[in-house]
Amino acid sequence: MAFQILLNFFLAFLWMFLQVSFDGTTFFVGYLLGLIVLYGMRRFFKADFYMRRVLAVIYLTLLFFKELFMANIDVLKVILKPKLDIQPGIFALPIELKTDWEITLLANLITLTPGTLVIDVSDDQKILYVHAIDVPDVQDAIKGIKDSFEKAIMEVSR
Amino acid sequence: MKTNDVILQTTSKVVFFMIVLFAIHLFFAGHYNPGGGFVGGLMTSGAIVLLLLAFDIKTVVKGFPIDYIILVGIGLLFAVGTAAGSLLFNIPFFTHAFGDVTLPVLGKTSLHTAMLFDTGVYLVVIGVTMTIIQTIGESE
Repeated sequence: MAFQILLNFFLAFLWMFLQVSFDGTTFFVGYLLGLIVLYGMRRFFKADFYMRRVLAVIYLTLLFFKELFMANIDVLKVILKPKLDIQPGIFALPIELKTDWEITLLANLITLTPGTLVIDVSDDQKILYVHAIDVPDVQDAIKGIKDSFEKAIMEVSR
Repeated sequence: MKTNDVILQTTSKVVFFMIVLFAIHLFFAGHYNPGGGFVGGLMTSGAIVLLLLAFDIKTVVKGFPIDYIILVGIGLLFAVGTAAGSLLFNIPFFTHAFGDVTLPVLGKTSLHTAMLFDTGVYLVVIGVTMTIIQTIGESE
């Protein structure tokens, strides 16, 4: 992954030297050409073609904004309801993510979507404790987070 | 009861770089815009204090094996050296020289010896702040 990006930069510089023009536009063109060549050579590298991960990051960002929008509307409904019939609760969310930054990202995404809030991470980093404003069904909530955010983060870091 | 600080630690590792870059930006902005050595130094120590909050003193000392008292000395040397440098050219103490210099890579840059004095201030502020905080933190 890092090697491919480095190689792409090197190819862009090579293109600049071949064109004998050292400005941003030439670098950009060289970068795009290098990207095409790298895509053609993708089966010769051990790691996946790195643009797939970039797309996964973009997908994760868009997913986050969508979830943020939807969850805000949900919380607005809870607030404006004349009758307070919510069921707040704390549930344990088992996670399959391993590294520190994945867990941090997931915890922050859960916290930033209204209605849910990460309270604590267990010592062995296998369980997140999440507080939710309205959980009629815990299994549903766990499944929802696992299917959306955790999957998307896995896509990025796999 | 020891809590798991994984979120705080990972976040502070990333935020540290942003704070340090902003501190350097403030340091260089001192001549034409608000900023300068003092604020830059305080901001840099603020970044190190963030690491101290997220990790413990031992880890941070291992990460930055700097003797902050010596850093104060180096900073004072910078300041005095800049001030005394004008004596070599037979002009009064603390007279600053400045001018546009053409550097090989950066091109035309305006250089000013007040920058060196500011570097001294920067290092002294970092040294003093970190010495105070570490001394208080280590005393049981």
